[in-house]
Amino acid sequence: MQTAMLAFRNLSRQKRRSFLLGGAIAFGIMIVTLIDGFAGAFVDNVSENFSNLLAGHVFVEGVEKSPKGRDLEIIRDDAALREAAEAAGIEAKYVSRRSGLQGSLKFAGRTATLAVQGVDFEAETFLAERLALASGSLDDLPRDGIVLPEPIADKLGVEIGDRLLVTTRTYSGQQNVGEFAVAAVIKDPGILGSVSAYAGRDYVNELLDLAPDEYQALSFYLPSLKGMDEAGDRLHAEVSSRLQAFERKAPGAEGGNPVLAMMRGEDEETWTGVKYRVTTLNDALAQVQQIVDVLDVASLVILLVLFLIIMVGITNTFRIIMYERIREIGTMRAVGMQRGQVRGLFLYEALFLALGGAVAGLAVASLVMLGVGLIDFGLDSPLFLILRNGHMSFRLDWARVAGKVAIVAFLTLAAAFFPARSAAKLDPAVALRTAV
Amino acid sequence: MKRAMISVLAALSVAMAGAQDFKAMLREIDSLGDFGGQDFTATYTIVSEKPGQKPETVQVRVYRRDERDQFVFLFLKPERQKGQGYLKVDDNVWFYDPESGEFAKSTIKESVQDSEARNSDLSRMSYADDYDIEKSSEGKLGAYDVWILELVSKDSEVSWQRVRLYVRKDKPLVLKEEDFSVSGRLMRTVSFPPSYISAGGKQIPSRILIVDEINTGEKSQLTLSDVAVGKLADDTFTEAFLKRAR
Repeated sequence: MQTAMLAFRNLSRQKRRSFLLGGAIAFGIMIVTLIDGFAGAFVDNVSENFSNLLAGHVFVEGVEKSPKGRDLEIIRDDAALREAAEAAGIEAKYVSRRSGLQGSLKFAGRTATLAVQGVDFEAETFLAERLALASGSLDDLPRDGIVLPEPIADKLGVEIGDRLLVTTRTYSGQQNVGEFAVAAVIKDPGILGSVSAYAGRDYVNELLDLAPDEYQALSFYLPSLKGMDEAGDRLHAEVSSRLQAFERKAPGAEGGNPVLAMMRGEDEETWTGVKYRVTTLNDALAQVQQIVDVLDVASLVILLVLFLIIMVGITNTFRIIMYERIREIGTMRAVGMQRGQVRGLFLYEALFLALGGAVAGLAVASLVMLGVGLIDFGLDSPLFLILRNGHMSFRLDWARVAGKVAIVAFLTLAAAFFPARSAAKLDPAVALRTAV
Repeated sequence: MKRAMISVLAALSVAMAGAQDFKAMLREIDSLGDFGGQDFTATYTIVSEKPGQKPETVQVRVYRRDERDQFVFLFLKPERQKGQGYLKVDDNVWFYDPESGEFAKSTIKESVQDSEARNSDLSRMSYADDYDIEKSSEGKLGAYDVWILELVSKDSEVSWQRVRLYVRKDKPLVLKEEDFSVSGRLMRTVSFPPSYISAGGKQIPSRILIVDEINTGEKSQLTLSDVAVGKLADDTFTEAFLKRAR
């Protein structure tokens, strides 16, 4: 305890040196904490934003083989699916039934290609809360009304009430033409602007040549992101026991996108009737998790590289400290301080530096995160997908932070170990004779 | 008296139309584009025009084995698309991109490189197999007396749900085809000017003009050249052929 107190006093004696060494450690900790915080929130934010756009966390799609072997996306009757969801205990905040078309919109010689989601506006009341309207209204939407993202409306030069021509394909691939009336324009939803036009499902179904009660995707919006994979597994088990269903994990899914792997597998299969695909947002966003894994590795590599550099500085500084204090060490040894205590003195100093730097680094990182989090990038920012309501957010895993601090403490101790050992080995008589 | 004459003539015309075996006519039309046991090769030059843009030229070498309903399309022009191609194996159509070396699933209903032409325009098709005759009438197209046949697709596997054909009365040659959307709107008009190339004992149109009826001013002209009918090597209709063709 006395050695620790002495080490603490030594650090405060050389404030400038301690500040510079601790500052280097703090800088390293701050950088990796910011990366960790960003990576931690990245998946949550992307998942949250995608779940809003796709209206769910767990999805069921129906696939029917045409007589010529093509895969047609359709859910004809969902009574058994509803039963399966109930048996699986899926407690959804919202349930959506959507159809979707890929169309080419034309107005006054201008053309824009985008996906139009056919939604039941009366059932999907939450959509009105999520869509930031720039003009128009979602109330009393006409049957052929369309809600366009602002960039598309600007590109076409349309205003509320204008009628657009749409060329598209039916669910089986036949050419079709229709007309939409612009009912509302929503603020630019970022890079997903091209997939976020909405129209009434009845009319989208008509263009797709689907019956009014048919649709293409059933989505469950869960109360939270947690547990979606378990919910997907339970639903898959219940759907499989009642209907034809594809395997949840397709062969070859490892390292790639599980949903795409599943679809590739479907090309090879043959079946009659409708077969169901149960997926989750996590399946669709598998690549996002890969990005986070890369960020995690990058954070660790940065930590190690930074601290290898810092370790060289610490080793050299502690060697200088040893020579500066050589007579002091000689005196302490002469009055009875043991070699271990001398070594301990140096190591305590290194440990206090590491912990002080870590605390300072974490504090600065917290301030930076708080400051950046206050910046409003807006809902139309190109960074939309990784933002939470237009703000950058961070989430720290405290166990991971503790791990990184432990690594830093270990590296700092390792850097100080050799000068500490040299100091401990000094002969008191030689040390006292040495002129500094 | 005059009115009675007109009525008699009209009735006669309807009766004659009724007597005509239009199904057989469709089969005859199909047979002109079906080379059966022989393989068909031709180069299609597609010039597409869009308002305010320079005309674009796409050249495609087409290899067909109608007996097995197989085809390979190999893009020769423009330079940036050279080596790309489509391959039909069984009921699957694959698009090959030499840049990635990958095959991606496609469909016969795709446009040929943003032109008004579709893959189905270059491959063998069968009006008789794919369509039922809903209505027939007589008419005149330019100098030609024609049968006007209203066709409706038997299933949803073809691009157009409704097709109107203008067929010469003197020979079973299509002069014009109008393609309609599922909602009944005219989407494109395909004209076959009466200029033909003889190949394998059949007459095939040397030029096809496709007008986009939705996007005013957009049209494509297809011109056939280097037509040959004869046996091709079996490996022509394989992925390996497209991979090494560039």
